[in-house]
Amino acid sequence: MNRTLILITLLGLGLLTGMVSCNESETPTESGFNRGEMLTNVVQKLIIPAFTDLGTHVAALSQRAEAFTQSPTPTTLSSLQEAWSTAYTSWQFANSFNFGPAGEQGVRRGLNEEIGTFPISIAKVENAVSGTPNFNDFNRDARGFLAVEYLIFGMGKTPTELVDEFSTQKRKDFLLGAISDIDRRVNEVLSAWNGGYSTTFVQNVGTDVGSSTSMLYNEFVKSFEAIKNFKLGLPLGRRPGQTQAEPQLVEAYYSGKSLEMLEANLVAVENIWFGRSREGQDGAGFREYLQSVEGGQALIAATEAQMTAVKSALAAVPKTSTLAEQIQQAPQPADKLHTELQKHTRFYKSDMSSILGISITFSSGDGD
Amino acid sequence: MLKHSFIDTLATSLRIEVISATLRERVRATPFSVFRAVFGLLMAFGAVRFMWLGWIEDHYLAPQFHFNYWGFEWVKPLPAIFMYGVHYLMIASAVGVMVGTKWVYRASAITLFLTFTYTELIDLTYYLNHYYFVSIVCALLCIIPSPPAIWDKQATIPHWVVVIFKLQIAIVYIYAGLAKINYDWLVEALPLKIWLPAHDHLPIIGPLFTWTITPYLFSWFGMLYDCLIVFFLLNTRTRLAAYLTVIIFHSLTGVLFQIGIFPLVMIGCTLIFFDFGRGKPAEPSPLRPLTPKVSLRALVLVAHFAFQLLFPWRFLLYPGNVFWTEQGYRYGWRVMLMEKAGTAIFYVKDSKSGREGVVDNSEFLNPHQEKQMAMQPDMILQFAHFLGNHYAKIGLDNPQVRAEVYVTLNARPSRLLIDPNVNLMKERDTFAPKTWILPN
Repeated sequence: MNRTLILITLLGLGLLTGMVSCNESETPTESGFNRGEMLTNVVQKLIIPAFTDLGTHVAALSQRAEAFTQSPTPTTLSSLQEAWSTAYTSWQFANSFNFGPAGEQGVRRGLNEEIGTFPISIAKVENAVSGTPNFNDFNRDARGFLAVEYLIFGMGKTPTELVDEFSTQKRKDFLLGAISDIDRRVNEVLSAWNGGYSTTFVQNVGTDVGSSTSMLYNEFVKSFEAIKNFKLGLPLGRRPGQTQAEPQLVEAYYSGKSLEMLEANLVAVENIWFGRSREGQDGAGFREYLQSVEGGQALIAATEAQMTAVKSALAAVPKTSTLAEQIQQAPQPADKLHTELQKHTRFYKSDMSSILGISITFSSGDGD
Repeated sequence: MLKHSFIDTLATSLRIEVISATLRERVRATPFSVFRAVFGLLMAFGAVRFMWLGWIEDHYLAPQFHFNYWGFEWVKPLPAIFMYGVHYLMIASAVGVMVGTKWVYRASAITLFLTFTYTELIDLTYYLNHYYFVSIVCALLCIIPSPPAIWDKQATIPHWVVVIFKLQIAIVYIYAGLAKINYDWLVEALPLKIWLPAHDHLPIIGPLFTWTITPYLFSWFGMLYDCLIVFFLLNTRTRLAAYLTVIIFHSLTGVLFQIGIFPLVMIGCTLIFFDFGRGKPAEPSPLRPLTPKVSLRALVLVAHFAFQLLFPWRFLLYPGNVFWTEQGYRYGWRVMLMEKAGTAIFYVKDSKSGREGVVDNSEFLNPHQEKQMAMQPDMILQFAHFLGNHYAKIGLDNPQVRAEVYVTLNARPSRLLIDPNVNLMKERDTFAPKTWILPN
């Protein structure tokens, strides 16, 4: 028998089996998901609003800092502190978008590290204050939001004591310099998104490494993991080798706003999952994407069940004392939250990328 | 007596004499010349590409921990300058394999085998069947007699030289095809049902990937292609059509998967099935007598191919689903067969204080390493031992390491891969079944 004939026969058989195995053959399925639409929604409803909002609040912070340095009083200090909290809350909604214009570039690290590094080094900050501040060196733990926080909230100081600290011009200059550095970096990112980058981002609809979906996904997971590992795990002393809790490692230690910020960060991550704006307007996000793929419904159900568990664990953390105090005195609720976040990790970290077919590394293994 | 005649009959029926004579017959060298020219070129290109992409840093120099190949724990990366040296040597030897003759060829083939295999053995993370295939081809290139110059169209070589490469390629394809005969691949069209829609943005073919039927067609075609392509390549009448299929098939895999230059390697290697010339070679030389060297070579080759044929089946000796346990998974030509991913959370406990901490894997592993480790039990074990030793060094008392590993296989909800209560420091990686792997 002619071998070509055998090949054709076998191919035909294969075709036939394929057709038999699926009922709605040849018609395009509902599964065609428009990644471009999801990306557009994320850019328009989440990313650009997040950086716009952040830009506005950093500008306000800058103005209050001007006012404070011109006349340092407990009143101007308090209004400066308030502006810091608002701006830093806005940052929680932008810290997941640490790619593209906010990503690494040469010696410049991602925006997250440049303006959001914690814990800061008091020694380095004080050194920079008394020396010549340089906001472009490797001392990322001596600049950014949390260096500013240390300067204006201090550690166990009364407002008057804090105000007194600002009697030197150098301290004033450093404060203004640190805020203007944040302002410059945020505005760079914002103008890139408002300029051509949005189009570039929305048009890059693939799923390979470097594609918009892959970058968005990666940083989404990183933001989530940072909450678990750095905002909770480390201060709780849950790292191997730690012999006790280290509450001073929490984010926003000096203002005592750790819990508030953590909560905002969790909401921001959840918003990306839903494709939801900060105001609550729902659009296409990872959840919608998952709805279109094999195994997606089961994953959505499992993820959202765990989200509920995370939320109730968060609700059980008392808001009457700071996270640092709780970690020191009664860590159980915070520990429980850490555990629930731990349980949540796999849904975001591996299940999602696996069933969506998003590549997270440059070359694949045989087992992909 | 009876025994003797039985062996005689067996030998006759196997026609060992005839096979041996056919294999030692001299044939036109051009197919092999084309093969080694293309292979050498691609190897040189591959090494240049590897350096160009900065992978020497990313893969070998930056990581603080490397996953070892079983039995090759002694292979370690060299300092940067030597790693670059190894790659330059690899490029030079690839060129030598391409155009060299006599001792230049021999030295090049051996150097290429050693340098390439060395770089592959540094870290198990980057294991691919394709790399294993390339190492085998390099080894086979070492064992053959020095070939004639590639531009000599009249030259001849022993038939077996061509046959061993064809046989190796045949094993790769057919075993890859057989591995595709499983429930998920053929009946569920998984993992293609996941991979194809993820590429629905590709021009022209992209829209096809959203159709329900497409993954089924691709799965079945892929299985049939792998099982049968060699036979169609062997047959003169179907060869050209088969080769076109080879080009289409591998171009598609190249577009769909991030497997670098390997589609090109397969497209290049299968050229060996072509004759590149007409009629019999100019001067059919008489068979040379069997020398001990020849016999030894034959023995090595027989042993190699026996290993090739048998080793991939070792998975049958282990309990459970090989896709899940990965016991006996590697070196079996299971290529792009499943979609698997995991999240591995390691807990390290100080035996004295009882304090247990959670590891942040990214403190020690790059994303690629973490991803591969999180779904493969032997790598999980290696990392656990690394962690135990690391924390013992920084002062933990007799650290116990356990891991909670959730793995999703072909879009199924993730489940525990291994017993999360087992102290992995007490376990060793051997060929014995790993009892701490949980059933799928």
